Amino acid sequence: MLFSSIPFLYYFLPMVLVIYYMAPKAWRNLILLLSSLVFYGWGEGRYLFLMLGMIFFGYCFACLIQTARKKQRYQWAGLCLFLSLGLDLAILGYFKYADFFIGNINRGIGLSLPLLNLALPIGISFYTFQLMSYTIDVYRGEVKAQKNPLLPAAYVAMFPQLVAGPIVRYSSVEEQLKDRSLSLSDTAVGIRRFILGLSKKVLLANTLGECCALFRDTKEKDMLFFWLYGVSFMLHIYFDFSGYSDMAIGLGKLLGFSFPENFRYPYTAKSITDFWRRWHISLGSWFRDYVYIPLGGNRVKRGRWLMNLTLVWLLTGFWHGASWNFLFWGLYFAVFLVLEKLWLNAWLKKSAAFARIYVLLTVMVSFLIFDAQTISEATVNIKGLVGLEGKGLVSTESLYYLRSYSITLLVAAFGATPLGGIWIKKIRERKLGDRFIAGIEPLVLGVLLLTVTAFLVDGSFNPFLYFRF
Amino acid sequence: MKEKRRELYLVLVLAGLLFGLSAFCLLKEPDSYSYTERRVLAQFPAPTGKKLADGSFMKEFEAYSQDQFPFREGFRHLKAIAAMKIMGKADNNGIYFLEGHLGKLDYPLKPKQVQYALERIENIYYTYLNGSQEKCYLAIIPDKNYYLGGEHGYPILDYDTLYQTMEEETPYLQHIDLRNLLSEKDFYSTDTHWKQECLLPLAEALAEAMGHELLAEYEVKVAKEDFYGVYAGQAALRVKPDRISYLTNTTLEKCRVTSYDTGKAVEKSIYDKEKLMGQDSYEFFLSGADALIVIENPAAEGKGELIVFRDSFASSLIPLFAEEYEKITLVDIRYINPSLLGQFIEFKDQEVLFIYSTLLLNNSMGMK
Repeated sequence: MLFSSIPFLYYFLPMVLVIYYMAPKAWRNLILLLSSLVFYGWGEGRYLFLMLGMIFFGYCFACLIQTARKKQRYQWAGLCLFLSLGLDLAILGYFKYADFFIGNINRGIGLSLPLLNLALPIGISFYTFQLMSYTIDVYRGEVKAQKNPLLPAAYVAMFPQLVAGPIVRYSSVEEQLKDRSLSLSDTAVGIRRFILGLSKKVLLANTLGECCALFRDTKEKDMLFFWLYGVSFMLHIYFDFSGYSDMAIGLGKLLGFSFPENFRYPYTAKSITDFWRRWHISLGSWFRDYVYIPLGGNRVKRGRWLMNLTLVWLLTGFWHGASWNFLFWGLYFAVFLVLEKLWLNAWLKKSAAFARIYVLLTVMVSFLIFDAQTISEATVNIKGLVGLEGKGLVSTESLYYLRSYSITLLVAAFGATPLGGIWIKKIRERKLGDRFIAGIEPLVLGVLLLTVTAFLVDGSFNPFLYFRF
Repeated sequence: MKEKRRELYLVLVLAGLLFGLSAFCLLKEPDSYSYTERRVLAQFPAPTGKKLADGSFMKEFEAYSQDQFPFREGFRHLKAIAAMKIMGKADNNGIYFLEGHLGKLDYPLKPKQVQYALERIENIYYTYLNGSQEKCYLAIIPDKNYYLGGEHGYPILDYDTLYQTMEEETPYLQHIDLRNLLSEKDFYSTDTHWKQECLLPLAEALAEAMGHELLAEYEVKVAKEDFYGVYAGQAALRVKPDRISYLTNTTLEKCRVTSYDTGKAVEKSIYDKEKLMGQDSYEFFLSGADALIVIENPAAEGKGELIVFRDSFASSLIPLFAEEYEKITLVDIRYINPSLLGQFIEFKDQEVLFIYSTLLLNNSMGMK
């Protein structure tokens, strides 16, 4: 079930909120788990038991690890962790990566092994990483294994963040799972955040996604169209994913949880290193804490450090999808991160404008690689930006779409900066301005909710990119 | 305290909206049909075990929740306004509004569809007309985009290529170019079709190209004052309705119209007033695009026959040819397989006109 759908907004969510708010505190985790199972089963019924099975094994292994640790049998604890991670990765690998490897083996050594053609269970990359972080944290002694299976189950299956993150660590919600309260303040914050995220997703991301789809459907593309697509896609993916994260954080607040931020205006970054501190923060920190640092991070010799960095970014790319272009995408960022650390940082610090243009162009090209089905398609799209592909500079078609999407592009570009928030803060510093904002905010949010509803009722273009991860 | 009041105000307004609409969704009686979109609306799906297991229940429920949403028409209108007036989109669901006209983007040229249409025409020609007919014509009707969209920067079909392809691939047909005989004013502002009352000059030119002269005079009558065409429903914008007028005279009133849509002869009329109340008032002309319709004019006995392979545009045009033919047979191969035509038509020395709109030629897979 998509958050940005009528069944979720006007059937599932109101029912869950009514039951959740009316239920005694002690029942809330059970209600949360059951509603999450309905939420997941609605879109991916056949894989519901797969997720429950993975949660069950994660719970069991965490208990075994803790017992072994208590008895100071660290080798047993290590073995249990190894088995737990092995199982998680094997399941993830089977569903997500098997066909990639089979296809490459077939091509590489001329075999014709049959592909599995499995449908990817929605959100498997997200909940697998949450489960892995839970068992690793128990192994490290950073959290205690939970004896009550309801808590880890509610943690992993929690519907606000189940299918598209942010990747919430058990340690960050452990206390809230045990004891949380619902306040008017959190409810207001949650509603505000949810509606803003929903609007980002439906009004901006979907509209720009439509423009990208038109580009893909067009056979004869000119240079302007390649740029229009490049800019539209980078804004589309940002508003798509950050909008979903906002909705998840807002829903979490409505249910009494505080989830970590996942985006901090990444397109205002002044370097690629800075960009990755602002983009999909929960994934970046996961790889940092569970892969990069255990490998030695940057406190090793330069050659090893380069290898660590490359490995982490190859894995980051591969996490996003089982194809060569995702691996290449990860490698692309590894190259820029290394270049920055070795040479570029000094240059970037000299001019903020240059640094921002450099980041925007680098990221735009990266998303052309990301969105392509093949490396050759990515190459065509990149060459198109410099006029080496396509027909001429402009056409009636590209000018039409530029005109048609220019306001959305401008609003999206503005929305990708913190300027709006800064202006509102400044207005609120004045007494009259504060009153004005307080009076108008619910109305603006109400109009946004109605407009989003109108777009959904009209059956508009409504895909969601990160469901495939 | 002040902050609490603000939060309470925000929560009450937004929760009220969410829960209010939610309650409406649960309580509202489902509608069965959307007259503006001309389609049946999705109903609550039966939650069978199979449907729940394969996920089709969920998909059908989503369609149901969209189709049966309270104040749906209002929301569709709000979406159109937000998309076009606020977000500046040049079209909504592919429908644009320009110079008082609604038009639908239909591009690029789809060579496979055009090729398919050519194959269908060729199939008829070589099956029924090969060598025996000299007077075989092809006229292509340019759609509204040709006049409306191109000049204003809207992407349109490559009409020149379409016309050239059709001409080159059908050397056995005589081509009649209609492009200079129309303007956007000759089309309904809310519909895809043309207005019959504007078609006399085109009909005269077309007839002349076929070696005939149309001399009849007509009275213009109004059939319907508030006609909302197919684009009006799709656009969901508030637009002025069109008026359906029609041309009539004693010759047309005396014509006999027979439809063989169901295989059996059913008597109809040139103008079917009952259709004005239906979902598509343009079906007023010849009762819509039936598979096979015969117009017989007793006053033109001995004047010859015309067979027209056509789409819905011809419904309002071809009656104007009645004065020149004893019998006109209209065939719509979207609704009848051409292999069956021999059962209904004796092909001899009739004149034959293939008349299709660019809309159909570029989306021809419905042709049989």
